[in-house]
Amino acid sequence: MDVFLPVAEVSVNILAIISLSGIVGILSGLFGVGGGFLMTPFLIFLGVPPTYAVANEANNILATSVSGSTTHYLKDTLDYKMGFMIVIGGAIGTLVGIWTFTYFKGIGKIDIVISLAYMYILAIIGTAMLVEGLGEIDKARKKIITKKKLHVHYWIHGLPLRMRFKKSKLYESAFTPIIIGLIVGFIAAIMGIGGAFILVPAMIYIIGMPTKLIPGTSLFVTIFVSVIVTFLHSFNYGSIDLILVLMLVTGSIIGVQCGQKIGESVDSTGLKTLLAILLLIVGIAIAYDTFFAEHTVNEVVKIDANDLNPLSMFIKKISLEVPILYGLFSIVSAIILGVSAAFIRRFLSNLRKKYFQKSA
Amino acid sequence: MPNLIKNLPSEIKKNKLKTGVIVGLSAYWGVILVGTILSIN
Repeated sequence: MDVFLPVAEVSVNILAIISLSGIVGILSGLFGVGGGFLMTPFLIFLGVPPTYAVANEANNILATSVSGSTTHYLKDTLDYKMGFMIVIGGAIGTLVGIWTFTYFKGIGKIDIVISLAYMYILAIIGTAMLVEGLGEIDKARKKIITKKKLHVHYWIHGLPLRMRFKKSKLYESAFTPIIIGLIVGFIAAIMGIGGAFILVPAMIYIIGMPTKLIPGTSLFVTIFVSVIVTFLHSFNYGSIDLILVLMLVTGSIIGVQCGQKIGESVDSTGLKTLLAILLLIVGIAIAYDTFFAEHTVNEVVKIDANDLNPLSMFIKKISLEVPILYGLFSIVSAIILGVSAAFIRRFLSNLRKKYFQKSA
Repeated sequence: MPNLIKNLPSEIKKNKLKTGVIVGLSAYWGVILVGTILSIN
């Protein structure tokens, strides 16, 4: 069941996109990672050009992070002050990232840069997760309990402009979250990912935030970073395809909610090792595709605007004529879908509680 | 050091999983590093 994407100008299988997005969503909900670093390569394998895959996945991440962040807002597990400090760095990092993206796009090397970036990021995370996962299994088998240090001091903690973060009960330099945000924003702009896999360990080991505030604050930061990435990609390259975004959001929102539910009843230590292996397999697939596969020149199918259906024609028209409005519309749509998903989940959860209480 | 080299075969036999992971990861990183160098050249 193929659907033609009017902006990306390629045909994709609607079932493949929704089911893959759903599977990645389940993994995201299960392991607390964004999933962008898996979904963007999958989109590239499905034939979506890397430039479009990055931009549309950023828009999808916006919807899922809004959904997750709303849930944490309702539970009051968010540190806004810390989040805003990271966002300041994130905004600067995103602008530098977009500038770098523009430079490589200008010299015609952006596709290889995106592929190499993914290959190395997947290799680094996969290796780290595999080593950690096997270590945990080994310790559990030998029944070894290790005491961890409460807080390790790095050079970053000696920076000036220290301030109090009441919610996290920390007294820390404002530069610490800003520098972390800068790195996350830069990577997000180039690769179309939320950056939670950098942000979460940095919040735990470098900033030293309480664990219960980390997922909510990380998602809160991701909202702003993905808004900036989506807007800049839409404005600079007109690469947001609303039909693709809608398919991605549908799959991932359902998947994330399922993943979170599964995660409540499953021990994730063994699964973490499996995820690490999956990341390494995707990494090696990208390596094969980049280095060894014979690249055939895709036949460019020029479709006349009159051959498109009315919806595709409308999307194509507004993306070309009013890119700012189109970018804003795609951002607002993702936010509305994300918030709606969070409230639907809360409603269903309350309904279930009520039903079970009555039956008990 | 000579002791470590002498004991290496028995260490490998003792922990096949760890050896497999180390060999696999080394091969993996080797492929992507060599591929990167070749594609840049």
